[in-house]
Amino acid sequence: MGLIEVVVLLIAPLLAGGLSLIIHRSALLHAINLTSLSLLVASEIMITRTVLIDGPFTALGQFVYLDALSAFILFIIGAVGLACSFYMRSYMDEQIARGVIAPGRLNLFFFLFHMFLLAMVVATVANSVGVQWVAIEATTLTTTFLIAFWRRRESLEAGWKYLILCSVGISLALFGVVLTYYSSLHVLGDVSEALNVTQLLPVADRLNPPVLKLAFIFILVGYGTKVGLVPMHSWLPDAYTEAPAPVAAMLAGVLEIVAVYAILRMRMIADHALSPAFTGGLLTLLGFASFVTAAFFILIQHNYKRLFAYSSIEHMGVAMIGFGVGGPLGTFGGLLHLMNHAFAKSMAFFAAGNIHRRFHTVEIGQVQGLATAQPWTAMALMIAGLALSALPPFVSFVSEVQVLSALATEGVAGLRFTNSSSLVTLALTDQFCSLWLTGLFLLCAVLAFSGLLYRLTGMVWGVPPEGIVRGETWTLGHLPIIVLAAALVGFSFLLPQPIRQLLDQAMQILLLH
Amino acid sequence: MQISSHIGSQLVDLCSALLLLTCFAIVAQRRLSACVDLFALQSAFLVLTAALVAFLTGNHHIYIAAGLTGLIKVIIIPRVLKKVIARLNVKRELVMNVNVPAGLLICGALVMLAFFITQPILPLGFLLTRDSLAIAFTIVLIGLFTMIARQKAVSQLVGFLVMENGLFLGATAATYGMPLIVELGVFFDVLIAVLIAGIYTNRLQDAFDSVDTSHLTVLKE
Repeated sequence: MGLIEVVVLLIAPLLAGGLSLIIHRSALLHAINLTSLSLLVASEIMITRTVLIDGPFTALGQFVYLDALSAFILFIIGAVGLACSFYMRSYMDEQIARGVIAPGRLNLFFFLFHMFLLAMVVATVANSVGVQWVAIEATTLTTTFLIAFWRRRESLEAGWKYLILCSVGISLALFGVVLTYYSSLHVLGDVSEALNVTQLLPVADRLNPPVLKLAFIFILVGYGTKVGLVPMHSWLPDAYTEAPAPVAAMLAGVLEIVAVYAILRMRMIADHALSPAFTGGLLTLLGFASFVTAAFFILIQHNYKRLFAYSSIEHMGVAMIGFGVGGPLGTFGGLLHLMNHAFAKSMAFFAAGNIHRRFHTVEIGQVQGLATAQPWTAMALMIAGLALSALPPFVSFVSEVQVLSALATEGVAGLRFTNSSSLVTLALTDQFCSLWLTGLFLLCAVLAFSGLLYRLTGMVWGVPPEGIVRGETWTLGHLPIIVLAAALVGFSFLLPQPIRQLLDQAMQILLLH
Repeated sequence: MQISSHIGSQLVDLCSALLLLTCFAIVAQRRLSACVDLFALQSAFLVLTAALVAFLTGNHHIYIAAGLTGLIKVIIIPRVLKKVIARLNVKRELVMNVNVPAGLLICGALVMLAFFITQPILPLGFLLTRDSLAIAFTIVLIGLFTMIARQKAVSQLVGFLVMENGLFLGATAATYGMPLIVELGVFFDVLIAVLIAGIYTNRLQDAFDSVDTSHLTVLKE
C-alpha cells in the first residue's frame, strides 16, 4: 500500500540530482527539475489520499512511516518546491546571462538543490528518529554551499556561520536522540527498531521520565537552532540575506517547517511520559522569546531581506506558541500558520529576488517607485507583506487569530502546572497570566505589522531612481507568485476539503497521540 | 565473572577518563597542529573504549563503529586538517576569547555541571559503562566551550569534532551503540561536514586573507 508513491518520492529527487551533474544544457536542467518536482507533488497527492482514506501506514520494511502530519509537511515541501522550480527558470537564466554565475556551476546548483529536497523528504518520512537526525544534518550540509553560492565575502561568512552554528545545534539534538534510545532500550530491549516512532509511541508512557525530559530539552534546542528560534537564531538573517532568492524561499518556507516537524514528533513521544504542560511550556517560552525579539528587530531593519528573515523568526514564534498552548484551536492554528508562512514567505523572497535583480541593492532606502519600475513584483511584495502582517483577508490572519484565542482561553499549560507548587508564581493566577501574555502577543503583532508595512510601502511608492529600467516583462517566474497569492486569499474563504481533512487529522495526531 | 566485570568497568572508566584528559589538553594547547594531533589521540582512545565495550559485552556491531572511527577520525580527518593548516599563514592561536588558565577552570566547572545534570539518569544505565555517560556529556560541553573560546576556523572545527567524540562515547556507553544505519549516517555526515569546512577555510583564507573568524563581521545589524 502506497509503496510506489513512496519510492517515487525518494527516487525522483535522487535521480534528478544525479542527472543534474552530467547534463549541461540549461533548458534540459530546468526540464528535469520541473519533472522531478511534478512527480514529487503527484506522489504526495497519492500519499495524502491513502493517508486520508486508510490512515497511517509504514512502507519499505518499517523504514518509512506516513501519517496525516507527515503528509501535511510533504505537501508544503512539494508546493513550495514546485513554486521555486518555476521561479528558478527565469531567475537562474538571468544570472547566467549577466555573468554572475558561470554556466558550469548551474549543475552544482541543481545537484545541491535536489539533494536538499531529498534530505528534507527523508527527514519527513523517516520512521526512525535517528535516520531523521541524519537527514536533517544532511540538509545543513547541502544548503551551506547554496547559501554561499555567490562566493562573495559576505556569502562565505554567512555560509560558514550557518554550517558551524547549525552543526553544533544538530549535535546537541543527536545527544537527545541518544538519550531517547537510552530510555527506549529498557522497554523495548536491544532491537534496531527501538528508535522507530511506530515502536516508541505504543510504549511511550513506560519510558523513563527524567531521561526523556533531558532528551526533549536537547532535541528542542538542537532542532530549534534549525528553526531559528531565539536565542539560537543568529545565523538566520545572514543566511537568508546572502542566499540566492529561490534558496532563501526554500530555507524560509520549508526547512524551518521540517525542523518544527521533528520537534513535534519528539514531543508526541515525550508527552506520554511527561506532562504536556512541561513540553508545552518550553515551546511557549521559546515561541514568545522569538516572537517578541523578532518584532522589535523588524522595526530597525534597513535591508529588506533581513526584514523578511526576522519576520520568519516572528512567525515561527507564533506557530510555536500555538503548539505550546495546545488544545484543538492552538494546534490547528499552529499547523495552518506553518503553511501560510511557507506560502507568504516564499512569495516574499521571490519578490525580493526580482527587486534585487533590478535595483542591485538590498537597502530599503535605495529602492523606490517599485510600482512604476516593476508593477507585478510590487503587487507581489505588497500581497506577501500584508499576508505576513497577518491582515484580513489573508489566511494568515485566520491562523494568527486562532493561536491568539487559544492563548487567551487556554492559558499557558506550563504556568498552570507550576502554579500550585511554586511560591514565585503564586501571584500569577491563570487568568492574570494569560491576560498579560495575550496583551504581549497583541503588542508584538502590532509592532511587526507596522514595522513591516512601513518599510514595504516606502519601497513600493515614489519615483524610481535614475537609471532603473521601467516596466516588467512577463516570465514563467511570475506564475508561482500569482498562484501563491491566490492560495493565500482563497484559503481564508474556502480551505479545500483535502487540506482541511489533512489538517484536522494532523491536529488529532498531535492532540491524542 | 564478578571480578572480571569489575575490572572491565574500571578499564572502561580509565579509557573514558583518558578521553576527558585529552579534552583538557586541547583546551590548553595553542598550536593548531598540536590541537589536531591531540584530537587524533582522543579519537584513538575512543576506538580503544569502543573496542573494549564491544569485547566485554559481545556486541559485535560496535567493532564496526570502532573501526570506522579509527579510519575516519584517527586517519582521514586529521590528515585533511593538517593539509588545511599547511595552507594557512597562521599556525598559532594568538588571541583567545578566554585565556588558558581561565579556560581550564571553566572546563573543571563544566565537569561538575555535567555530573550534576546526569546524576538522576545514571542509575538506569549498564553497570559497565555507567560513569562514561557523564564523561561523554562533559566532553560535549567542553567541545562546545572550545568552539566559543577560539577564533580560528580550524580550532572551532576541532571543538566540533570533540563534541562529536563525546556524542559517540555517549552512544557507546549509554546504549552500546546506536542502530547501525544511524551510526553509519552519523559517520557520513561528520566526514562530509569536515570536508565542507575544509573547503570553507580555503575560501575564507582567499577572501579574507585570514581564517580568524573575528574578521567575519561584515554582516551585522
